[in-house]
Amino acid sequence: MPRVIFENQPIDFHEGDSVLIALLRAGQHPTAGGCLCLAGDCPHCLATVDGVSYTRTCQTAARPGQIIQRHPANGEPPLPTAPAHNVEVPARNLHCEVAVIGQGAAGRAAADEARAAGKNVIALDSKHGQEVIGIYLGPLVVARTAEGMWHVHAQEVIVATGAVELPPVAPGNELRGIMTARAAAQLHAAGINLGRVVAIGAPPENIPAELAEGTLLRFEGESKVEAVVTQTAAGAERRWPCDTVSIGLGLTPRDTLLRIGNGLNVRAVGEAAQSASLPPCPAAGTVCHCSSVSVADLDAAWERGFREMELVKRATLAGTGTCQGAACLPYLRSFLAERGGTVQAPFTARPVTRQLTLGEAAAGAHHRATPRTALDAEHRKLGARMDRVGGWWRPWTYGNFLEEYWAVREAVSLGDVSTLGKMLISGPDALELLERLYPTQVSTIKPGRSRYVLLLNERGYVLDDGLISRDSETRFALTFTSGGASMAEMWVRDWAESWGLDVRLLNQTMSLGAINVTGPLTHELLRRAGLSQPLQYMQHVRTEVAGVPCRLYRLSFTGEISYELHHPSEHSTKLWRTLLELGRDLGIRPHGIETLLKLRLEKGHIIVGQDTDFDSTPRRVNMEWAIKMTKPYFVGQQAILRTNKIPLDKQLVALEMAEGPAPLEGEVLWNNGEYAGYVTSSFQSPVLGKVVMLAWLKLFNDALPETVTVAGRPAHRVNAPFYDQEGARARA
Amino acid sequence: MPALETLTAMRIVAAPTALDSTQWPQNALPLRTAPDEILLLNASAPISLPADEHALIEPEGSFMGLWLPMSEALEFLERTCAWELPVARPAFAQGAVANVPVKLWLEPERILFIVQAPFAADFLERLR
Repeated sequence: MPRVIFENQPIDFHEGDSVLIALLRAGQHPTAGGCLCLAGDCPHCLATVDGVSYTRTCQTAARPGQIIQRHPANGEPPLPTAPAHNVEVPARNLHCEVAVIGQGAAGRAAADEARAAGKNVIALDSKHGQEVIGIYLGPLVVARTAEGMWHVHAQEVIVATGAVELPPVAPGNELRGIMTARAAAQLHAAGINLGRVVAIGAPPENIPAELAEGTLLRFEGESKVEAVVTQTAAGAERRWPCDTVSIGLGLTPRDTLLRIGNGLNVRAVGEAAQSASLPPCPAAGTVCHCSSVSVADLDAAWERGFREMELVKRATLAGTGTCQGAACLPYLRSFLAERGGTVQAPFTARPVTRQLTLGEAAAGAHHRATPRTALDAEHRKLGARMDRVGGWWRPWTYGNFLEEYWAVREAVSLGDVSTLGKMLISGPDALELLERLYPTQVSTIKPGRSRYVLLLNERGYVLDDGLISRDSETRFALTFTSGGASMAEMWVRDWAESWGLDVRLLNQTMSLGAINVTGPLTHELLRRAGLSQPLQYMQHVRTEVAGVPCRLYRLSFTGEISYELHHPSEHSTKLWRTLLELGRDLGIRPHGIETLLKLRLEKGHIIVGQDTDFDSTPRRVNMEWAIKMTKPYFVGQQAILRTNKIPLDKQLVALEMAEGPAPLEGEVLWNNGEYAGYVTSSFQSPVLGKVVMLAWLKLFNDALPETVTVAGRPAHRVNAPFYDQEGARARA
Repeated sequence: MPALETLTAMRIVAAPTALDSTQWPQNALPLRTAPDEILLLNASAPISLPADEHALIEPEGSFMGLWLPMSEALEFLERTCAWELPVARPAFAQGAVANVPVKLWLEPERILFIVQAPFAADFLERLR
């Protein structure tokens, strides 16, 4: 005979037994007791089965070798004691027009009716191994099955989950040997000897039982029920000796899933659709067995003023346990109705209705993929430490930050800037769109030229920055920051459509690679790669570099001569390797993001998102030069006109400190002991021999302090940039 | 082990009416990724679109493709794709598969999975 292992003891079971029936057949019980339902509604058969806590043993088929353990008797949570196994749970996505939950008579009829109407139906039933644990937006029905989790995407959900048998609430209702009438019938049918049976209310089917007349007062016994005590109409107590008590107090709709689906296309049929008639208000005993809440606890909550259903639930935790109110909700409602005089609605039901393992909860879920540039493998081969920056995997450093830094300042260096947002715009209204979107005067950008631009939102706050490069009268190329790229297309497209402008937009962020070639020897490197004539500062052309078709932008973020080489990403590796080879005797090195962040700081260039906040206006970031208020219109213009009337309260400033170390980014600024702001970027500059910082600084008496204290040391306000103030190196 | 291969393609953004009225090269496969955009597979020759002088027509080499037999493809999609596949064949569809942006070209016996190169590594990892 097959056996399961219960508390380290083998127990025989019959084919078809649930774990619970196997235990009861052997004279064991998985819990301390309480009214068993054998329908998955109550918490009285929960145990740890094969390492999974809170398993409903009445719903779990017994299998040879299954390990069953009781939950801790002291009420502590049943935490796993062994490493988790079978963590990964597969998911299946299924699609249908109608999902029917429950395959009793009403559920089968509903499914048949839908099929007859030509609809594609998926029928689910816990008896068939599909235990629905929640309904989500969609509606999406999630069910646990033996093969993993089913995600059933339905147009309509029909809940046919039947009704729950009301458990008794009376002193002693936590004893063993108490069960619902249907549970008693099931156990009897399984061949389990129930001994002397006393029935309260409707008797169980096909079981000889003595009907306990009168009103239920209490159950008596030590750990197992020995008698039921009732009160007769005349007021006398009567004791009914027994081995088993069968409870037939009536039914209440099993409507948790229906209530979870409130607001979705979910409806109920059969008993689940019926309105609940409330049981009498209990006088004493445990109401919520999951959270051990008694009638006395409810009374105490009531006296403290918790008189609404949701408050009583939170104050007592009744209904928050493993059965999610299946057993106690009718009594909570009858309690509140009796005390307050009105029947209150059930508390809000939310997924999940059953305990899940983390693997089950995560089934079918994948974390958001972080894109990699076409040079990802090259970076890793060069020993780069990769990090997620701006939503991409990017090289933080190739190992020696200072070597990278000096390569840019004194020789030539390559940086992978493929992550920049890149967009083409053309059309008869392209110029009009950009004039409205950007605060700069776009019409004055000549074909072949580029301009640095801020992008503002309707509140006049800095949203992003980048370049506008003009190809022709009606065609432009835009760039955005790496972090802003994902938003940029939506932003531009939404405005274009809102204004009804005739434009074409092509987002090339993922299609094009981009390599930043920077350093005083850049021109020599590009000459070797085939660029015959250096570009002017802020000029752009389409040409070939090292045999790769490129769009070249002459600009500078590092403060040195710089070109961005935008090119089809399938050529990135060839271009990268060729440039590294051509620059070998020039001292070429690649630089990572860490180096780039420091180089731009020496030039005082902001990083949107690091040096800006959600309320950063051009005035606050000291970049009013980038906006042209005399334009007829641009997004954010009205907000700037309005906010410019308010006295300036803080500004992004440049600070210097004579000696290092550089304060941490985020370090607080103090002005004569008063909070004055915080550092957004800081760096001990090798080339300048001092600490340079960008920081948000408050105005005091309408003026910015000249000197503040940072990390206990004085820092002086200066004009940015810190490095090459005339910009001669970048324009060389 | 399945591998993704770079697809030869063009991307064309134009007025929808211009896209509707254009005859594409015989061996090219036009995938309508948006009302105003077509990803034209198997096309590298210069494409002209006289119906829209402002059309943006750019060579596109960042898309990678992988054909899977129908049964294998459906088994993978059932695990990883929360949206319903089109029933008709051939058909084009696009959306998240294993939380990666994917385009699908569904033929009667097989499905072409199209992924942009930055997501290729993650997609392959999730396919296995």
